[in-house]
Amino acid sequence: MNQEHNSDTHRLIRPGSILRGSIKARLITIVVLSQTLLAAGLVFTGVVYTHQRLLSTLDAGMQARAMSVAALVRYAEDASGNVYFDETLMPASLDPAHPDLFAVWTERSGLLTRSANWPAGLEVPPTGSDHWNFKLAHVHYRGLRVFQVPVLDREEGKTFRPQVLTIVYLAPKIQLDAQVKQAGISIALSSLLLLGATVLLALWGIRRGLLPLQELAAQAGLVSTHNWELHVPDDAQQIRELRPLTQSMTTMLARLHHSFDQQREFLGNAAHELKTPVAVLKSTLQSLLQRPRASEEYRAGLEHSLEDLERLEQLLQWMLRLARAEQWAHGALRRDLQVIDVTATCEEAVERTRQLAESRKATVHLSKNGPVLFRADPEDLQLVWINLLENAVRYGPEGGSVEVAVTRENAGPSRIIFEDHGAGIPAADLPHVFERFYRGDPSRTRATGGFGLGLAIAKALVEAYGGTITADSEPGKGTRMTVELPVGHN
Amino acid sequence: MRVLIIEDEPRLAENIARSLREIAGYAVDIAHDGQEGLFMAESSEYDVVLLDLMLPQMDGMQLLGRIRQAGQRTPVLVVTARDDKESVVALLNAGADDYLTKPFDLGELLARTKALIRRGKGQPSPVLSVGDLELNTVNRSVHRGGRLITLTAMEYRVLEYLAHRPRAVVSKTELLEHLYDYNWEKFSNVIEVYISGLRRKLDDGSSRQLIHTLRGQGYVLQDGTQPG
Repeated sequence: MNQEHNSDTHRLIRPGSILRGSIKARLITIVVLSQTLLAAGLVFTGVVYTHQRLLSTLDAGMQARAMSVAALVRYAEDASGNVYFDETLMPASLDPAHPDLFAVWTERSGLLTRSANWPAGLEVPPTGSDHWNFKLAHVHYRGLRVFQVPVLDREEGKTFRPQVLTIVYLAPKIQLDAQVKQAGISIALSSLLLLGATVLLALWGIRRGLLPLQELAAQAGLVSTHNWELHVPDDAQQIRELRPLTQSMTTMLARLHHSFDQQREFLGNAAHELKTPVAVLKSTLQSLLQRPRASEEYRAGLEHSLEDLERLEQLLQWMLRLARAEQWAHGALRRDLQVIDVTATCEEAVERTRQLAESRKATVHLSKNGPVLFRADPEDLQLVWINLLENAVRYGPEGGSVEVAVTRENAGPSRIIFEDHGAGIPAADLPHVFERFYRGDPSRTRATGGFGLGLAIAKALVEAYGGTITADSEPGKGTRMTVELPVGHN
Repeated sequence: MRVLIIEDEPRLAENIARSLREIAGYAVDIAHDGQEGLFMAESSEYDVVLLDLMLPQMDGMQLLGRIRQAGQRTPVLVVTARDDKESVVALLNAGADDYLTKPFDLGELLARTKALIRRGKGQPSPVLSVGDLELNTVNRSVHRGGRLITLTAMEYRVLEYLAHRPRAVVSKTELLEHLYDYNWEKFSNVIEVYISGLRRKLDDGSSRQLIHTLRGQGYVLQDGTQPG
């Protein structure tokens, strides 16, 4: 409703944009244009055809009248073979206002006669084309020359050579022009009527045709974050042209629904994760204030609170890091990337986790096979390796060892493997280790300081580069994390 | 009164325990995972259990189911970070008596805990009275016949327990179970010392005895005559 209203005002403000703004206007314009073109063609051919037909009728009539003029040429009684024109028998003109004109020539003595109304100054020679048009005193005339007309008058027993006449007959085209005009007007009028009817029909048809689209729009309007189901009306389902639209709408909704659910789940999980540290902090401060305490007690309480606050801060940082990694994974942050050496980023990551490894008395072995090139942001890859290394060092036994191997088999995908010899991951937990906030054993991870986000971040980043990450584990023997980076990215 | 806290976040458990001990004078035990929690709930008698839902070893919901299946009537207050309607309904239906969402207020937790203990023992009012004895569980004051009686912390705890169960025979073992936490060495003759101290303070200036001893069985808090 609202939208329609808007487009109406839009139309009022900028009439030039009607065509761009409305399918209906476009279709109607096409209909009107083609109908107009058709009508013009119809009028043109109608007029030309009618004119042609009337002209040939006129020509035939003029021929007949010229012959009747010829019939009035008679031989003289004196047997000299001379002829004269018997004007008395000349029939009256059809149109007294614009009478026909004629002139007769004889072969022997030239101009024999001209009609009485022959205007002065009009010179028409007895030679030239058979038919022609000309204008006389603003009136269109048709001219006809008839050659070699024998004198029809027969004399009994004549001895002289028969005379041959040339007759010029001129008739006004007023009636013909009027008839042609009439025909043109009637064709144009009926075309116009037809055009009107077609536009109405087209409008109705378009409205009917667009109805399923409107219904679809109404149904689409019902979709919200509480109702993801798009009910496609039967009408719209049956229309072949709408199918790509409904299909892409459905798949788009499914994708949106999925990512919305993921976001909501993340938000729920994040809120859940934040509530516990906040609860701890609050309870510490409240119990501290419950009664007057010795200054050492206050001090201990404040120190605890500070520790909890720092943990909370860390959790927030990890959550932001994950959000960034996932955003980047969804292609929101495409950057100019350089080709880097994956092995070098592993070395850097080993260096950066050295302190943690030393505190656990763990040793990290990095086996290299020369540079492995890949197009990526080195910080991203380092973050992945650091997360995997920290996990391996934390959950491996104290004084244990962690093996890191960077390999590439003849131009295949690069493979980076992290292996520890710790307690391993129970089979039930294995499918979930990359889920956000997932912790196989919350009490243990809490003690070691994890939030259950490191592997989720690693996965998001690896997938952002088109790679895969998999976890294999054998309880009691250790865990192996394998990252595969695709070939195409280097 | 004795409370069991099942909570895997040690500092939170410690803060709640401290509050319950200091403010309400309860004996408190802490379990850090579901398995330990279930074991403690099954092996000792508690007046209320504070249960976190997200627990290692055994999920809080599961634990709740196990406790209720075993026929335990101990009131359970669930402390959860989840506050969506579905999980609240689910946990109440699983046998929880009340719930509190994290982060919570310690005062509210305390009030809810006290209310659960009262209701668990069939006492709707926070002021318990037996004859002319009045015990206010909110400010922990004791009056007899309008006279304020000053008790030691332990004497109050003994009287509070007895006042929650008037006219019932309460054995020394039961008193020991409900007044001391897990780590305490329990000596039954200590109870006798508190009882005699209480008798002396309560009956001072009154002709009617309140705490009666049933030889070999235990104590009864009751107005007037010795129960048969």
